[in-house]
Amino acid sequence: MLRVNTLRVLCRTGTLLQTGWSLKDRQSLSRAVTCALQSLQQQFVPQDRGDKRDVGVRHLCTAQVCLTCWNCQHPLKQKPAFFCESCEVVQPPPEDTSYFSILECDCTFTLDTLKLQKKYLQLQRLLHPDNFSQKSEREQGYSESQSALVNKAYETLLKPLSRGLYMLELQGLNIEEGTDSAVNSELLMELMEINEALDAVETPQEANEIGQDTKGKLADLTEQIDTALNKGELQTAKALLTKMKYFANIEEKVKEKLSSFM
Amino acid sequence: MAGLMSGATLRKCISLLVYRGKLFSPEHSTSCSYHKKVVDHYENPRNVGSLDKNAQNVGTGLVGAPACGDVMKLQIQVDDNGKIVDAKFKTFGCGSAIASSSLATELVKGKSVDEALTIKNTDIAKELCLPPVKLHCSMLAEDAIKAALSDYRLKQDKKE
Repeated sequence: MLRVNTLRVLCRTGTLLQTGWSLKDRQSLSRAVTCALQSLQQQFVPQDRGDKRDVGVRHLCTAQVCLTCWNCQHPLKQKPAFFCESCEVVQPPPEDTSYFSILECDCTFTLDTLKLQKKYLQLQRLLHPDNFSQKSEREQGYSESQSALVNKAYETLLKPLSRGLYMLELQGLNIEEGTDSAVNSELLMELMEINEALDAVETPQEANEIGQDTKGKLADLTEQIDTALNKGELQTAKALLTKMKYFANIEEKVKEKLSSFM
Repeated sequence: MAGLMSGATLRKCISLLVYRGKLFSPEHSTSCSYHKKVVDHYENPRNVGSLDKNAQNVGTGLVGAPACGDVMKLQIQVDDNGKIVDAKFKTFGCGSAIASSSLATELVKGKSVDEALTIKNTDIAKELCLPPVKLHCSMLAEDAIKAALSDYRLKQDKKE
């Protein structure tokens, strides 16, 4: 595995030397080097799916240290670097940067959504493609990608469910496809009953009642998930986020039901 | 084999084009089109409803898919000869999940309990022409069938 990756890096470098140092290729090289070095790292660092994985990559990855402005070659010290400090030209979107760093928030489940929104708007004021209509095609392209990335980061971090799932993803934990045998039948029965009740409502008031109930359950779950993530109990958080997903779906269905009454 | 493959792909493309207009409505939350068989099961689901879960000859399977938050209930009614004479389902989820469980109830009817155990998610997926991203819906339906059969078995073992 290691040898194949090393070969890949060497081949990539070889190709680059032939075709010239374009930024796109440099990013591909950065990715290839990161992959190769990650597999190198796996040989030396124990398989720990916590923060160590990220830290290890930073220590060994030289590609990150080499990032410079594509325009004036000034080193990009900020992470993430949206603009060059020297020539102020927009940079391509950062790689291996979490959504939390992009929006300058602490990587915690409880988030000040007002602060998040403020930072989001601030960034979009600078990065939105509308500001780059007179700039070069390359800058326009970077602004589009940066703006899209900031959008994605904001959408993910805004809602507790997607935020929690993203935090698990950062730790290498994903909710798998397929049936969950761990989910107890009591929960499933409860979900069935709520869904059936919602299906049968005939007035907006009845739908609202279910909606309020669900909101309460979601608020409870948010608290529990926060506690679990703070304690580092990832499996507990995962189970709670799964439960949250079911209730979030019900919340969506309540909204659809209410709009059908209009 | 290659000729057959391209024929199937061509059919899918045609069905995508034909059903594009019909499917851009609020109830269909995905931006890609569903196969006409899925649409058929979604709009004309077979065997929606409930059986008495406390009855001795009824097996109830209740399964959930955590990734998408779908919930599926499938019930079977078995006669004294071990043949499934009735099946009902209730699914809350995407069109493919509803279609998969609707088809599942059709597939189990008339089969013996042992025969029903052999129904695979691939049969359901193939019949509905489910795209890769929706294959988990057919797996959910297979698990629901197995859960219902298992519940039935448990009840019979308790009786003995």
